[in-house]
Amino acid sequence: MNKSTARFTRAIVLGAGCALAAVSVAFAHHSFAMFDSDHQIKVSGKVTGFQWANPHVYIEMDGKNVKDEQAQVQHYTVECASPGILTRIGWKFNMVKAGDEITVIIAPLRTGEPGGLLKQVTLPDGRKFLNGGPAGKPNIE
Amino acid sequence: MKKMTRHKGAVLASAAMLGLLASAAVAAADAPAETRPAAKPAAKIPNARAAMTGQWNRYPEIDEKPHPDFPPAAPIPPPPLKAQYKAEYDALRKKLAEAEAAGKPLYSNYTACIPDGMPAMMMGMFPMEVLQTPGQVTIIQEAYNQVRRIYMGEKLPAFEDAEPLFWGHSTGKWEGDTLVVETIGIKDNVKFRDTPHSNQMRISERIRLLSPNMMEDEVTVTDPVYLDGPWKWRWMYKRMHDYKMLEYVCESNREYIDETGAARMKLGK
Repeated sequence: MNKSTARFTRAIVLGAGCALAAVSVAFAHHSFAMFDSDHQIKVSGKVTGFQWANPHVYIEMDGKNVKDEQAQVQHYTVECASPGILTRIGWKFNMVKAGDEITVIIAPLRTGEPGGLLKQVTLPDGRKFLNGGPAGKPNIE
Repeated sequence: MKKMTRHKGAVLASAAMLGLLASAAVAAADAPAETRPAAKPAAKIPNARAAMTGQWNRYPEIDEKPHPDFPPAAPIPPPPLKAQYKAEYDALRKKLAEAEAAGKPLYSNYTACIPDGMPAMMMGMFPMEVLQTPGQVTIIQEAYNQVRRIYMGEKLPAFEDAEPLFWGHSTGKWEGDTLVVETIGIKDNVKFRDTPHSNQMRISERIRLLSPNMMEDEVTVTDPVYLDGPWKWRWMYKRMHDYKMLEYVCESNREYIDETGAARMKLGK
């Protein structure tokens, strides 16, 4: 098992079992109620910005819903956990860069705006990362 | 997670050495040396007056299976509010829960990047660091860079003279190996679980090591104005090995409250 696979496995283990707990635990900054974790979507596209700061890390990307054949490319804002939570599950501040082609699974905003809460990101090198315990894990492939 | 398990043996050994050094320093400062045995077997709990120093994570963590020797603390009970305040409190909690269920969470201090304050900072949302120095115990919570300073043996001001603060005014003393802390002077808008309090609220804590690597904080909140009796619960912590605390500045808050009162996320470009 190479280093990145080990890290990925650890991230999966971390995420497992937290889905049920996610609604009742203390969250780092705010409620996740604005996101619809029951209807997750998968978005692929190009990163336009990566903001590594508290209270939340953000991925800005131009992408489209891969399961929607009619979908057009649009701008998505993807909320991640905090730098601390992400650091503790193996992320690094420079892990995502503008120009990267990535795929994310997100719980979309209930308002219908193009954005959501990250559940899992797949980096250009194939490594996958979850978003820490409070955010919960993906429920789609 | 990796950081917590790697080189565990070496870290334990060096932590024990540091503990011995620190306990010598603290013993000289605020306890009679003759009450202290010269050496203790490794399995015993080390001298609490130094050994609380270090980094601690809430226990059990979200994904953590509790150790059979350390059953998790019971859930925190609702506050024993006096009847005249309970109806209003219940209505507020119901309103907040309904807004959550509807996907439109309402304002909380977190919406505005306002830190927990006491006692919520002791829940251990993120890792927590305890530093024991002569005459003072300092507790740092990574989330929001929260710091509380417990002054050993200090006399607290009268309730009406205690300036309201996020972490209040804390005095500490040792009862055996238990650190007993009294805290008063918490701001009105620092409400644990949305519970109102008066300037006569007192937070009493009994902090002790359950083993070299487990710690608990038994919390009792009293408030003769709002509460019918003591509000008690326990928080537990597990030592983190080889962990360096991170900084936390709430600098890029994208949350805002819209015209309906619901918390929303600002979209980027």
